[in-house]
Amino acid sequence: MTELVAKNVDSADLVIIGNGIAGLTAAVEARRQAPDRRVVIITEQSHPTINTPALKQFAIGKLNREQLLAYPAGTEQAQFIHVINARAEEIHAQDRYITLKGGRGFGYSELLIATGSAPTGLPPTLPGRDFDGVLTLHRLYDYLDLRRRLGEVEEAVVIGGGAHAIETVMSLLYWGIRVHWLIRGDTFLPRMLDRPASEMVLDSIERAGAQVYTETEALGIVGRVGMVAGVVTNHQQLLPCQLVLVCTGTTAVTSLARHCDLKMKHKQGILVDEHLRTSVPHIYAAGDVAAIKDPQTGLYAPRAQWYAAVSQGRMAASLMTGSSPTEELGIPWHATRLGSLSMLTVGNVLQWQDTITTLTDSSRNSYRRMAVIDDQLVGYLSLGPSQPDSLAIKRIIEEGLSIRDIKKSLLKGTFDARSYFSRRRTYSAQRMVTTGKLPVADELEKRMQAIRNRAALPQAGRQEEQLYGTRALPGTDPLLKADFFERTTDEDLQLFADPFVTAPIDLERARGQRDNAAANANKLAERGLTSEGVRQVKTSHIIESTLVKAPQTPRTGRSPSGSLWSYSSPLPAVKVNSVETPGPPAGNGVSEIGQRGRKSQFKTPASSREKSKQRPPDVYPSSSLWAYSEKKRMKGH
Amino acid sequence: MLRAGLSKHGKKAVSLHKTGPQVAQELLACIGCNECLLACPALDEAITIDVLNRETYSGPISTPVAHFARSCFQCGACVAPCPVGLSREAMMMWLKVRLLRSGWEKS
Repeated sequence: MTELVAKNVDSADLVIIGNGIAGLTAAVEARRQAPDRRVVIITEQSHPTINTPALKQFAIGKLNREQLLAYPAGTEQAQFIHVINARAEEIHAQDRYITLKGGRGFGYSELLIATGSAPTGLPPTLPGRDFDGVLTLHRLYDYLDLRRRLGEVEEAVVIGGGAHAIETVMSLLYWGIRVHWLIRGDTFLPRMLDRPASEMVLDSIERAGAQVYTETEALGIVGRVGMVAGVVTNHQQLLPCQLVLVCTGTTAVTSLARHCDLKMKHKQGILVDEHLRTSVPHIYAAGDVAAIKDPQTGLYAPRAQWYAAVSQGRMAASLMTGSSPTEELGIPWHATRLGSLSMLTVGNVLQWQDTITTLTDSSRNSYRRMAVIDDQLVGYLSLGPSQPDSLAIKRIIEEGLSIRDIKKSLLKGTFDARSYFSRRRTYSAQRMVTTGKLPVADELEKRMQAIRNRAALPQAGRQEEQLYGTRALPGTDPLLKADFFERTTDEDLQLFADPFVTAPIDLERARGQRDNAAANANKLAERGLTSEGVRQVKTSHIIESTLVKAPQTPRTGRSPSGSLWSYSSPLPAVKVNSVETPGPPAGNGVSEIGQRGRKSQFKTPASSREKSKQRPPDVYPSSSLWAYSEKKRMKGH
Repeated sequence: MLRAGLSKHGKKAVSLHKTGPQVAQELLACIGCNECLLACPALDEAITIDVLNRETYSGPISTPVAHFARSCFQCGACVAPCPVGLSREAMMMWLKVRLLRSGWEKS
């Protein structure tokens, strides 16, 4: 392989760009599988691989720097993994070498791109974004910077509506800093959590002491002699602060895909097939940078999670060393702590059509939502004080196991994975003894296998281009999701009811919809959809066990209790098994459960909600006054 | 007749066992936040999570990790704090079994 590369150029068998967890895992695993290959990591980062999710614990001083190391110190040397500290700038895929900064070339036989992600940050036009004290939290240095600053901060503004933002808010609260948290949307993590779950998270954060401002954006940052002094919001409010933390999400670093002489498909990440191959031969991508197909929906998206990066690194190593991978990438899985709550999402919970049964439960200070087809689980969302056996639930979905016997315990959050799986083993052993047959793989697993076979690449020689040429690759941007709800023929619906059959998505049509947003919104509204494309709760498809229907009240303009009605009015004491919720009024797709309106920026913590009933109506001459009066009350609280 | 998961006194028996592949998978999913070690009442050694994870599944077991594995009494305090929902106590069980098999206890 290396004879393609000029003699005077350095080269290695396996070149890995990036020493994040995906990169290093791939290197270590490649070394294990191929002890005689030359493995090189090229990275810009000047510190060894760290446990990036543990940076939150580092931020609050629970850990020191040494405890952040992902692998014991010196692993690279011990494993003969050569680390080059340089920036990779271009890929010359035809001649199989990359150029490093300064023009130096470096040859490869197999290349892995694991460049990870970079913080999206504030829009470049936002006034004041360069003041000292405006930070993004992404790398180790950002957290070191944060820890140095904490001493002189009394108030901070956190911008962004994701899990990272919540962790940042909680870290700041831990240090006794008053936190204003600005969320652009009216719910938290709208693509992963439904409204009750989002309400629950936001309530818990408010109870922890943060001020939550939904549907609020920063219009500008005010500074005083170079330092941050406050943030101006779109509600003409000035929030004084000494620190602005920007947690507006991350973007895959795809610059190498742009600087490649062959066309490397990328959108919000480098598009890879189920074996992490990019559209260019001998180049793989893993970690936050790789956009992977969700086997349930067929949409490509990066999976920016620790476990995903580790398993992708291992898989890439197997493929680069020529062995066959033992694991599958599987379905999306995300488990994390959101303040005092543990959140778990497995598979797809919200994206289904109403041909799928949805079960929700909100007992025991927690919330669970399940998407079920027949007796197979396809999506699971859990939010509560403790985390269920998250990997076991992933396994149940991936293997398509019947949940008939465990439906209730899954729904109630009392599922005991260990006894379930040990019983399963016993059953299959019994079956083997009595029938004399080996256990057969479940049908769903077979179906997934069929998908994988169908999508598998032609054997070596006919390149990946073929795959990408013959099949339209769906884009990864959320707007294309609207396509889900455009399936109108029976055939389409049937196709869609089967989660592991991916229908080709008509890109042109989806683009047309995006361009024609207004028309689309109307169309959606006619069908009883909200403008975000989330199907409204429909009769008999959502079975709720304890969630009671909020009373319907006319939504008047700025009534004193406008944003609090769902809490102040007495709730019906009856538990219902099947809630019939009427569709939303045409053209106004608002959910009636826990509407978090524009006024809810003044939402008070749960414990003081009683007091706020006597609060004067929200007709203050200047809305910014509220911020200050609110603050005083908070102090006493 | 005993029902699975119930002891003869009717109490819910907690199975400490997980299979090797399960333990391996959980070790890979560990994000290294150290919450389990911070919650541990038995930890008396300077152990970092990366070393513990490496030695739990395979390879030689170093002295501090062996000491820790012996002092662990499977109280389960490490399970609830895990943000990812992993069972450290099953991993410790695995480590203990490995320790026994390696004959470390005898020496």
